[in-house]
Amino acid sequence: MEFLKKNPKIFQWLFLLIVFFSLCFAIEVPETYKFIRGQAEFVKDPNQSTFVFAGKEVRYYAFDVFWRLPPLLGWLPIWINDSLVFLMNDWMPMEFWNEDTQEFKTRPLLVEITRKISFFMTFLIELIREILIGGLNTVVTFTSWDWISENPWAELPGLPWTIVTAGAVLLSYHLSGKGLALFAGLVLVYISTFGQWKPSMQTLSFILVAAPLSFIFGLGLGIAAFKSKRLEKALYPILLVMQTMPQYAVLVPAMVLFGVGDHAAVIITMVVAIPPMILLTLLGLRAIPPEIIESGKMSGCNNWQLMFKVLIPTARRDILIGVNQVIMVCFSMAVISAFIAAKGLGYNLLLALNRLDIGMALEAGLCISLIAILLDKMSLAWANKQTDYFGNLTYFERNKNTIFFIGAFVIGIILAYVGTFLFKGTFNYLFEIPHNKGISTADFWNKGVDWIFDTFFVYIKAFNTWLIQEVLQPMRALYLRMPAVATIVLVVGAGYLIGGIRSALVVCGLTLFIALSPWWDRALVTTYMATFGVIVSCLIGFTVGTLSFQSKGAAKFMLGVCDIFQTFPSFVYLIPVMMLFGITDTSVLIAVIVYATIPATRYTIEGLRSVPIGLHEAATMSGVNKFQRLTKIEFPLAFPHMMLGLNQTIVFALFMVIIGAFIGTEDLGQYILKALSDKNGAGIGLTLGICVAFIGLIFDNLIRTWVGKRKKHLGIA
Amino acid sequence: MFQENYLNKLKTIPEWLRQFGGLVIVTLIIILSFVALNNIFGEGDDLVKRMKIEEDRIAEERKINELISSLPSGILVTFDGTDHHRLSDDVYEKVCKATKLIPQRAIMGANFLNFRAHEIYTINGNKIDDTFVKWDKEKNKCFAGFTVSGNNVGVDEKIAVTGEALSFLSTGIDTRVYYIKNF
Repeated sequence: MEFLKKNPKIFQWLFLLIVFFSLCFAIEVPETYKFIRGQAEFVKDPNQSTFVFAGKEVRYYAFDVFWRLPPLLGWLPIWINDSLVFLMNDWMPMEFWNEDTQEFKTRPLLVEITRKISFFMTFLIELIREILIGGLNTVVTFTSWDWISENPWAELPGLPWTIVTAGAVLLSYHLSGKGLALFAGLVLVYISTFGQWKPSMQTLSFILVAAPLSFIFGLGLGIAAFKSKRLEKALYPILLVMQTMPQYAVLVPAMVLFGVGDHAAVIITMVVAIPPMILLTLLGLRAIPPEIIESGKMSGCNNWQLMFKVLIPTARRDILIGVNQVIMVCFSMAVISAFIAAKGLGYNLLLALNRLDIGMALEAGLCISLIAILLDKMSLAWANKQTDYFGNLTYFERNKNTIFFIGAFVIGIILAYVGTFLFKGTFNYLFEIPHNKGISTADFWNKGVDWIFDTFFVYIKAFNTWLIQEVLQPMRALYLRMPAVATIVLVVGAGYLIGGIRSALVVCGLTLFIALSPWWDRALVTTYMATFGVIVSCLIGFTVGTLSFQSKGAAKFMLGVCDIFQTFPSFVYLIPVMMLFGITDTSVLIAVIVYATIPATRYTIEGLRSVPIGLHEAATMSGVNKFQRLTKIEFPLAFPHMMLGLNQTIVFALFMVIIGAFIGTEDLGQYILKALSDKNGAGIGLTLGICVAFIGLIFDNLIRTWVGKRKKHLGIA
Repeated sequence: MFQENYLNKLKTIPEWLRQFGGLVIVTLIIILSFVALNNIFGEGDDLVKRMKIEEDRIAEERKINELISSLPSGILVTFDGTDHHRLSDDVYEKVCKATKLIPQRAIMGANFLNFRAHEIYTINGNKIDDTFVKWDKEKNKCFAGFTVSGNNVGVDEKIAVTGEALSFLSTGIDTRVYYIKNF
């Protein structure tokens, strides 16, 4: 009894676990239960039960409610889909003037709006693409093909690669100095010489449209949310869901509204990239000391001046970190958008992976990773660069980069012109190195993969078989064996113990949404895969982080490595694992582990670093050794921060599990992938995306609440 | 007064016990909600009955699959005098009940002896309405057939072609009617 009084939480957790396991053992698996009938298969079968809600008939295999809840939200995807179809086909038909046919045509309003937006986006992408790699579509938009044939001078080619490279080098030098300039030069020379120029510029044009637009909308909404509490409250749940929503899932409704192609990809990229911009704008504006606002007001600023002359310049760094986030999300989406036919490196990567051409995939993947690092470093350098308001600079000093760029531009044009003579009858390598004429290491990598398979096939297969049969299958069976009631008791009970009744209600709502959707079984599989990945990632991440923390140099190096790895779009992680483990669940899980280890490591190091130095000294003076200091002082204090790392690890793992559907899993991601190729898949895709987001949010809520309480308890909140 | 006393008593309960009580209540609420939901959505006897039917169907399907996989691949006949595998009476019945498919070969063979059916079949672009394979308990024989319908020379017709299924084709995965004797 004394023990219980001292450790009431242990007793409460034990009680919860006992209830959970009792329910698991008490509720038998129905004999007719099969995973494949996870209620999501919309097949007609006389043994199915049906109900009608909102005019939609939902069919499902009924089980004991304690085992699996009936999919009472099964109407939701059908309703979303039907609503979209109605909006796109029948809602508010109006007469619109058709330029091509020169007559009025009746069209639903939404179709007209989406078409206009699509046209605008396509125009912007084409414009930038034509500047970078040439083309005439935008000129033709304002003129005609006849005008082009009458004025052949208008057929200007794109910029030679030398000029773009020089521009990137100068910009990097301006932002950060020689190191970044050298890196930018090397990256662009690599891209060009390896024949990846065209797809890289296609991807870049995509980012150059999506990122500024996301920035403008994100900043605008962030400012509006800062000014209006009501808007902030309205935006908050959307921002929360969007943070944990897999980017994959958002593609499906975009396809219905905007079709496929670069324009749809840009729009959906904006949807994904705007939330972090809003959050960081809000964060930056909120962090401004009230003295600054007061001094602005006292200087006689009106609202507009206060915002744009005082608040935004003060919050500049946070806003620019938002720009960095926007660029990275745009880049990540540029790769994933290949699924809806967005051109560029992502498309090449997807094609290569589909053909299992690991060499080509690796080349495209390396380009993607290098550009991602470059963009990340450049945007961070921009964020950290301080404007020198007091420097007394000459005209040349102020404009030297522009002057150098003009010089480089002229030299680039001359070189490209000389190239037409030098490479007469062949390709002008000083203008652009075509895709199949660059250096290629694809053969080398493909042979390497063959060698790996020939040499280690037996071991890889044995490892695969062991992992699947001995670890993954039993774990999956355990998760699927959990009755719905037991799972909900466990999750809600955990919510109650961690954050009280409020937290319990929140996680209950989120879990019920998933349980009442037709994809509970698939959600359990997603959770099992994510859990496995998270456990291993945390083991690795916490160990590596702790070991690295022991030396300042190692910690700095490891954080640098994490920085680099974090910039890679998640899709890229599939290449090396497919290379080694082929198309198996093991590949997905290894990718999940590698991807999710990054936040686990980073937060461990940062958590341990955040322990006040005074405590170290106090501990040393108290005579503790290094191990005691680590276990008795550093770990307990760093643990809340490390738990935030765990939170990130879960989100990363979920994202990767969903992307792993490309390799072939049987979780929610697989259904999202299927929805992508289904003309009626918008509702399903969106609902599935929300389910994944909710899984993330359940853990997010539990962990954040615990961290908040723990920090308060430790006095470090 | 009573309420106040009650509240004061509640306040004196230690925090850990109150929290534990809360946990028990939350757990009970969830379980009771499930009981209520089971009363609304649990389909009781009907669900059990349907589950039983489903179980029987799965068991039957399993048996049939086992039978089919044990049969030799090729043509299975019900009569003597050929090189093909001859089915015992017992297996003949089971194969009949397991067979669902009537391939085009068997349909065209049966159509040879039914000119009007053949004409409609050709006019329709080799399409048929439906097929059936039935075990006739009285005659202890397997009957297969199909119906064709359409407009032939201005007349709407629906013709059912039926006959004894004399042989089957075993593919190793399923069995199909190989020959329909409709004369």
